[in-house]
Amino acid sequence: MRSSLIVGCTFLAALILSVVPMPTPFDAGRPMWLAMVVAYWVMALPHRVGLLTAWVAGLATDVLFGELFGQNALVLVMVAWLMLLLYQRIRRFPLWQQSLVMLPVLGIAHMVSLWLSSLAGNRPPMLLYLLPAVVSTVLWPWVFTILRVIRRRFHVH
Amino acid sequence: MVVDARVDALKPLRSQLGMLLTPLYYVAELPVRAWDTVYLQLTSRADLIAENERLRAEALLAKRKLQKLAALTEQNVRLRELLNSSELLDERVLVAELIGVDPNAFSQRILIDRGERDGVFLGQPVLDATGLMGQVVEVMPFTSRVLLITDVSHSLPVQVNRNGLRAIASGTGSSEWLELRHVGDTADIRVDDIVVSSGLGQRFPAGYPVGRVTHVNTDSSQPFAEVRVQPTAQLNRSRYLLLVFSPESAYGDVFNSLSLEPDEALIEAEDDESAPLESDTPPEQEQSDAQ
Repeated sequence: MRSSLIVGCTFLAALILSVVPMPTPFDAGRPMWLAMVVAYWVMALPHRVGLLTAWVAGLATDVLFGELFGQNALVLVMVAWLMLLLYQRIRRFPLWQQSLVMLPVLGIAHMVSLWLSSLAGNRPPMLLYLLPAVVSTVLWPWVFTILRVIRRRFHVH
Repeated sequence: MVVDARVDALKPLRSQLGMLLTPLYYVAELPVRAWDTVYLQLTSRADLIAENERLRAEALLAKRKLQKLAALTEQNVRLRELLNSSELLDERVLVAELIGVDPNAFSQRILIDRGERDGVFLGQPVLDATGLMGQVVEVMPFTSRVLLITDVSHSLPVQVNRNGLRAIASGTGSSEWLELRHVGDTADIRVDDIVVSSGLGQRFPAGYPVGRVTHVNTDSSQPFAEVRVQPTAQLNRSRYLLLVFSPESAYGDVFNSLSLEPDEALIEAEDDESAPLESDTPPEQEQSDAQ
């Protein structure tokens, strides 16, 4: 019960971070906070956080961003699914190698989100749109370390 | 996703969830608000007095203009009566405050603190003190989402104030400029012309300033002139906005009963425009699609 609460709090923090106002030049590179948090928890606690949690978190994002229902949900489910496939290997990697694996995972998810949003009628510029995935990859070691500290401090199992 | 795009069934669920989740925007804005408060507390007395004087002067000027406006309105009404036209310039406005900006860098949308409970309706025009800002695209119980005129999927019918030339102003995704579409190479349009809303789309009231022409490029190899317009509204700075209830939109009743989905209409308009352009497309035809 308590561990679910902690996991929920990190999700909430990620949601807030993803709508924090940012100066225009950096806005295009806003990190995929929620995707990173989902990826971490799936990797750390695959028995507890899975596709369903990712789906619900994604629906919350959709409502928050005013996008089509299910758009971000699908993206986050993809992240969770890829992490479920990879977590046993990734766990053993050093941090920098983990980051390298996160690049394709987040990149693929972001590409899907690009396709979905162009289906919905918005046409963002292509290459610039992938910037968040790169920024998130660079930030991954820090996010990972912070979340691990939280997990160990509060004994989340 | 398809269900959400094509059917209205999920709308109530969506707006309720939106009500639950929008406080996150408040939380995210907290540092900015805190800074504003601290700044207010710490502004010096001299600054406040100076500002007060400036505002008083401005109010005086505004009042003078208002007196003139009253006379002009009277005159306008009388002239319209002479012309047997029953249309009166009567609009109500509601002040709203900005509470959040869309985190997606490629769409220009904002969140305001008025919603269904305040009578906000889909497609409602939004202004700020200096010009037209956009229209409401999503209504939640206490908040609503506004699509700015500079969004790539937004177009509005405008006319040049100087000579009444009609055109379509499309957003470009940059908050700095709009683009006038399908303007002929020989059209009488110059730099520094003021562009106002024409009211032809039946959505925006006529006569509100949209922007100022900053750049006209007539290249004879292109079918149309390239005209850039800088919005007069402070799209990325205004904190207080005005929601307009105008007779053209029947104070919201028409749009509520039509339950028109502006997003879809815009998407279709976008698709139409991306098809190979024919130079003989009359702008009026586009206007009905693009609004």
